[in-house]
Amino acid sequence: MSLRADPTLISEIERFGAADVSACFNCGNCTAICPLSKGETVFPRKVIRYLQLGLTEKLEASPEPWLCYYCGECSETCPREANPGEIMMATRRWLISRYDWTGIARKLYTSKVWEVGLTLAVSLFVVLLFVLFHGPMLTDRVSLNTFAPVKWVEYGDWIMAATLSFFLLTNAWRLRRFVMGDVRAGPSIYLSEISTFLSHAMTQKRWRECDHSRMHWLKHFLLVTGYATMLILIMVLLRWFQTDGWNVTSLFGYYATAVLLYVSADMMIGRLRKRHEIHRHSHPTDWMFLILLFLTSLTGILVHLLRMGGMPVPTYVMYVIHLAVAVPMLVVEVPFGKWAHLLYRPLVIYLVTVKAKAKSTVEATETVPVTT
Amino acid sequence: MNRAASTETVDTLVIGGGIAGLQTALDLADLGLQVAIVEKEPSIGGKMIGLSKVFPTLDCASCITTPKMAATAHHENIRILTLAEVESVTRHDEDFSVRVTLQPRYVDEDLCIGCRLCEYACDADVADEFEGGLSAHRAIYIPFTNAIPQLAILDPMECNLCGQCAVACPTDAVVFDQKPREIEITARSVVVATGFETTPMGAKEEYRGNEIVNVISPLTMERLLAPHGPYGRVLRPADGKVPDSVAFVQCAGSRDRSLGVPYCSRVCCMYAIKQAMLLSGALPFADITIYYMDIRAFGKGYETFFQNASAMGIEFVKGKVARIDEAGDRNVEVRFEHIDELGQVEERTHDLVVLSLGMLPAADLRDRMPISVSSDGFVTVPKPTIEPCRTNEPGIFVAGTAAGPKDIVDAIAEAGAAAMAVSGYLKKREPAGDAVCAVSAGMEIR
Repeated sequence: MSLRADPTLISEIERFGAADVSACFNCGNCTAICPLSKGETVFPRKVIRYLQLGLTEKLEASPEPWLCYYCGECSETCPREANPGEIMMATRRWLISRYDWTGIARKLYTSKVWEVGLTLAVSLFVVLLFVLFHGPMLTDRVSLNTFAPVKWVEYGDWIMAATLSFFLLTNAWRLRRFVMGDVRAGPSIYLSEISTFLSHAMTQKRWRECDHSRMHWLKHFLLVTGYATMLILIMVLLRWFQTDGWNVTSLFGYYATAVLLYVSADMMIGRLRKRHEIHRHSHPTDWMFLILLFLTSLTGILVHLLRMGGMPVPTYVMYVIHLAVAVPMLVVEVPFGKWAHLLYRPLVIYLVTVKAKAKSTVEATETVPVTT
Repeated sequence: MNRAASTETVDTLVIGGGIAGLQTALDLADLGLQVAIVEKEPSIGGKMIGLSKVFPTLDCASCITTPKMAATAHHENIRILTLAEVESVTRHDEDFSVRVTLQPRYVDEDLCIGCRLCEYACDADVADEFEGGLSAHRAIYIPFTNAIPQLAILDPMECNLCGQCAVACPTDAVVFDQKPREIEITARSVVVATGFETTPMGAKEEYRGNEIVNVISPLTMERLLAPHGPYGRVLRPADGKVPDSVAFVQCAGSRDRSLGVPYCSRVCCMYAIKQAMLLSGALPFADITIYYMDIRAFGKGYETFFQNASAMGIEFVKGKVARIDEAGDRNVEVRFEHIDELGQVEERTHDLVVLSLGMLPAADLRDRMPISVSSDGFVTVPKPTIEPCRTNEPGIFVAGTAAGPKDIVDAIAEAGAAAMAVSGYLKKREPAGDAVCAVSAGMEIR
């Protein structure tokens, strides 16, 4: 098999946030210090080597970037201060753009104008929808469901979810093609490993093997529970959750909001303080994601408070602002941005086990002793 | 060897009595110039006198160094000050005024005859740093067998003041109340030969060099390999076991920006290979492994030396060790990426591990003399390609590892060059007739 070398690959990755890929002298310290690097999947040096040699195809097919949780031990101990952790992060950004067939992800990662522009455009679109189509604004009492009837909002939710899923899943399909390469696995293997996908998607348990990252894992796990709760409240239970009265779903809403606010604020403070390696280098898209997440949670709880406080117009205005933040966050970040990792990480871990199983099945059949 | 009078004038003051300083002093003294050596340790000889053998010839280190030390000590044009540290060098017109502090030895240098009766009488045991802390000496002791001067020194922190040494001393040389003294020397030129220290054992936290007993420094390994070392044979420190498997971890204190030592120390590859070779002789059945990033065998005969080691069965493994941990039975586990084996991460256990430490400048010369020092602490040499021994201050020269990491071969060559540069400088300074006379007068005496 011939390999094509692309000499521009290093500068390409540097556009996605890696500082100096050529600083690495390939000593292997990063790979050996990494608590997750073992067996067939060894990194970060392998990934850096692909970058230095310009092996675009090898890199696209690499599951390794997604197996790293950025504990930062490699960067802390790198003799060249080449920042392998951040190179892995930049490679993940690049991979998101490679999986994405629309080309939007690439624009978002390499241009601040695109990132901010698209977010604002979606935001304005949401505002415009409300300006044109909102229901009657009752001012004698708060009636959110007259201003924005839950039925219509629910339709909007589902349309958006369908669109996002379409992009995310088609991108994930391309990811599968890249990672699996020539290896063929039957549906039975895919099915037998589905629990791997689910458990990793729900718990990110692999991250817990990083020695110094237990706290980061815990906070992230809380964030996931908060996010998942909110997702269910909005996609499934909205007709109870968006009420003008009181509903038990609000309790879950409080939990989700508290967690989302606390963890996103904590992460932003971490990125400002730069005390841990995982927070030391921030790409503009990292900030964008955290800011939108924080603002969505903040405006969400404000809608609730204003409504409970009996202030009709501020409630309606805050509701529009809430959606004008939440919708672009989802539209921009889920299929084309940082948030895609919620699917890509567990999917890659899943595919790696599927691939290994498929290979071992093939080997087992090939090495069946011939009996005469 | 007497204590210098409080003021005296010398042609050259050499700071440091290691191999570079000794060679410079000998070359200058042979030209008839008056030289003083200022050494902060109780004996001259520097790092080299503690080594077992030297690469690439495998000559016995003390067999080369001891004669040079003796020649220096017996040279009529050389005066040696031990336990002496330079406080400041300041220029006065053409000369330098050098303030030197003499630390107390607690033994009268004029009276002591080096008979060691005090040592035999003493009861207090102290870990012997010269032997890597693996054996002990008394609280009053001769620094090591072939130390020069052969004078006892008392360690006041460990002495229990029993007075037995003073009773045993046939010349009444023990002086318990000696105080530090300061003297001033006028020097027409100065040579900085302050040498190096190894990077600290604990520098790279992941190597746990200060915690795991069977992880040792290369200088300790030199002592284990020396014929007159602490055990007289190669045993590992934790339990005295004869090691069956010894590993060297290269670049343990150099080429590592995270330790603040980005440069290569130039000697570690070669000394590790040398020690590995000597170990193959001392322990014929032991497995010896060298973990390296790249082998830098740059000098004459060095590549052959490396190839020979490889042919002898020493295993060279490409991959920087990232982590060292203690395994069972007091063994040592190293974790590394085996780069030549598809980059697999491996953990291997050894009986004894040597950290190939790098070189740091031994003396901080900033603010002590009017020369410029680079950010890494080594003396700045403005024109290294054509004037390797000149500093940016006329009259102050540099030799050996004070200017940057180098091996013994290069340090000695540079010491000779420094001597030549000094004599040239002094000759230019003098009215033509005088300098020639001074030099030729010195030559005639030989």
